Amino acid sequence: MSEERTPRNRYRRSFLKASGVGLLGGLAGCTRGGSGDGASGDGGNGSDGTGSTSTDGSSGDELVVPLSEYEDADIEWRQFEGSEVNVLAPQHTWVDMVEPAIPVFEELTGMSVNINTFPEQQFRTKRLTDLNTGAGEYDAFWNVRTVNQYREAGWLEPLDQFFEDDSLYDGDWYDREDIFETVRWRCHADGQWDKWSGLPLNTEVQVQFYRTDLYDEYGLEVAETTEQFVENARTIHENESDVVGAVGRGQKGYGMNVYVLNTFVQEFGADIWDSKPDDSGLDSAEAVEAAQFYVDVLQEYGPDGAGSQTWNDVLSTMQSGRAGHIVSDANLFWPGLTDPEASDVADTVGVAPVPYPEGGSLGPNQSTWQMNTSKFADNSAEAFLFMIWATSKPTNNWMHLDQGAGFSVRQGIWENDDFRSRVGETFADATIKSQQAADPISFDRHYPEWGQLYSEEVQLAISGDKSPQEAMEAAAKAAEDTF
Amino acid sequence: MSTITAEQSNESGLARLRELWDQYLPYWLATPMVLVMLVITLFPGAYDLYLSLVEYKMSSPGSIGEFAGLSNYRTAFTEAGALKSFGVTLTFVGGALAMQTVLGFAMAALLHGVKSDRAEAFYRVVFILPMAVAPVSLATISRVMLNTEVGIIPYLVRELTPFAAPTFLSDFPLLTLMLVDTWHWTPFMFIIFYAGLSSIPDTLVEASRVDGAPLWRRYVHVILPYMKPVLFVAVLIRMIDLFRHFGLAFTLTGGGPGTATQLVSLNVYEQGFRFVDLGAAAAIAVVYLLFVIAVANVLIAKVGFEGVWE
Repeated sequence: MSEERTPRNRYRRSFLKASGVGLLGGLAGCTRGGSGDGASGDGGNGSDGTGSTSTDGSSGDELVVPLSEYEDADIEWRQFEGSEVNVLAPQHTWVDMVEPAIPVFEELTGMSVNINTFPEQQFRTKRLTDLNTGAGEYDAFWNVRTVNQYREAGWLEPLDQFFEDDSLYDGDWYDREDIFETVRWRCHADGQWDKWSGLPLNTEVQVQFYRTDLYDEYGLEVAETTEQFVENARTIHENESDVVGAVGRGQKGYGMNVYVLNTFVQEFGADIWDSKPDDSGLDSAEAVEAAQFYVDVLQEYGPDGAGSQTWNDVLSTMQSGRAGHIVSDANLFWPGLTDPEASDVADTVGVAPVPYPEGGSLGPNQSTWQMNTSKFADNSAEAFLFMIWATSKPTNNWMHLDQGAGFSVRQGIWENDDFRSRVGETFADATIKSQQAADPISFDRHYPEWGQLYSEEVQLAISGDKSPQEAMEAAAKAAEDTF
Repeated sequence: MSTITAEQSNESGLARLRELWDQYLPYWLATPMVLVMLVITLFPGAYDLYLSLVEYKMSSPGSIGEFAGLSNYRTAFTEAGALKSFGVTLTFVGGALAMQTVLGFAMAALLHGVKSDRAEAFYRVVFILPMAVAPVSLATISRVMLNTEVGIIPYLVRELTPFAAPTFLSDFPLLTLMLVDTWHWTPFMFIIFYAGLSSIPDTLVEASRVDGAPLWRRYVHVILPYMKPVLFVAVLIRMIDLFRHFGLAFTLTGGGPGTATQLVSLNVYEQGFRFVDLGAAAAIAVVYLLFVIAVANVLIAKVGFEGVWE
């Protein structure tokens, strides 16, 4: 810690910084569901807060990506000339970043695109209403955890028929194999469908963040195992008066505390389901051990009231220099942690794959937003063409090299020298390694319900109102009862 | 002759219409609004009732729309935590209402005693300011201010008192929710009470003063009885508003830890939009609506509207 900064000044500065983060996160953050528990950090949010984005089809003065980059593809780009694609999306950085390139698509295809964005809760409600009523107002929509709910309701249109249409898809040009394997798995309804449920827009994976200055000061090494991690957190916690050993999400919500805990549940050797739907694995010895690890870290080396920490709190605590680690969270925290304008620890934060128990193996949780089309949509083929364009290499490269994005689903961009020098080698390496080893949990149609109940139990354990054993047993029962 | 009769008949018809118009004027004027209210309350209410009687769980799409009898009500109160959320809501409404009423009245009484017009205008604006903040923004700011690591409130507790800073959202989440809501909405009570106090005839208070009544007697025997209708209306409006409370709790605690702050409104949201079980959500909403109507009616019957509209 800097000696020039007294604890009092530090508190004041921390408060101001955290207030700023909180306000920004909150004001835009209503976009992530208000409660925060919809806020999984699935992609960050750089929204300008506008309620709706619509492009008028004009190509502007100069196209940001040359058309020649797409004209190499053996795809009949202009086959739907004059038609329109309506896209429903949450307010999200991806939308902000792709928006300047929409005229490229419109020039290329002669089609027009309307992207309607809403704060996340309104987005979910609108999506559900559109599908449940069969209105088909939207040709494409975003999805992350309800893919199987919608698939089993018979609402999703698989993309395979479009992939098989030579006029819509050029396999060599698009290069599906470049997309991380776990991401492709997500786009098969989390491995529950032999068909393509959607195309991936972004991805994030769980990693750990740590303070390099404190590691230097106390001679610590980056933890590969959970045992080493606990030791590192303990060292910092006991030696630093104003810095807690670790922070992590404690707030309930199926995208909140259990989004992180599931990493450890699986790394400790448990399965979320031993046998669906009768036997949840959440009460297995390994799952309880994982919960015990996470609860112990937060209770012994975390901040007071860890049970109410959202991803926003975790980020702001780390940014303000009040934590030695983030035990595990989205790799997408990296830009926020290394931005000197937002972070006190911009120069002294490190990133590495999450720890795993001795004798276990790396297997972090992962999340992917995908774009789906429905059986009710009039323009599913047109929507597919838009998805192909939006997730193609030229568009993806432009977003990541020119627009500052850092959430690519394509491994190639993480190996690109220009991109790596921009985001940092350690971040790129940690992301590739984690994505390749990722062991994402599969969201079934009841997940929003049992995931929520499971997260409530975990919150009670983190808050000290239940033991991890009791909480996980109750969570397992709730999951089984949901079916 | 017959023409005259027709004219007379027309005149008498018009007169009759005019008479009907005059006689029922308040009803004619109210009719459009009544029709609008019927459309925007009766239809959603009836649809809610319908949803509560059918299977409408979107994660089980095969049975959607089948008549379910009262099973949604049974689910709501045995599995969906409705009973507990009613208890949480009653505690929240009772606690917050008591705090806001007492504080609002105290602030109004204090400001009423201020003699300087400039000071009065200044404090009036300052007192009303919290109401201008949107609930979600307030909740977000509050989360940061209450954060044990970076929040100003735990910091002040640590610095200014010999006590350790509590972890507000974990140790006493419901009380914290009440306190933040009190900060937000006490100004509403203050405005109404201040207007009520300002409407009391000076002669009445002067008379009691001349009679030698001390301040507390003037309040108990003169001011409060005179203010009864104002108090009643303010409490009734605020109570109903508290029963509808959602945004602040949703953002501040999300209903947690566990279900410690799971108000009925949050539970309905969770059942409906998170668990997509619209049947159970509708069942809870129907019971809740009847419950709030009953509470309001009991209050009206016991306290009454006498003097409120005079």
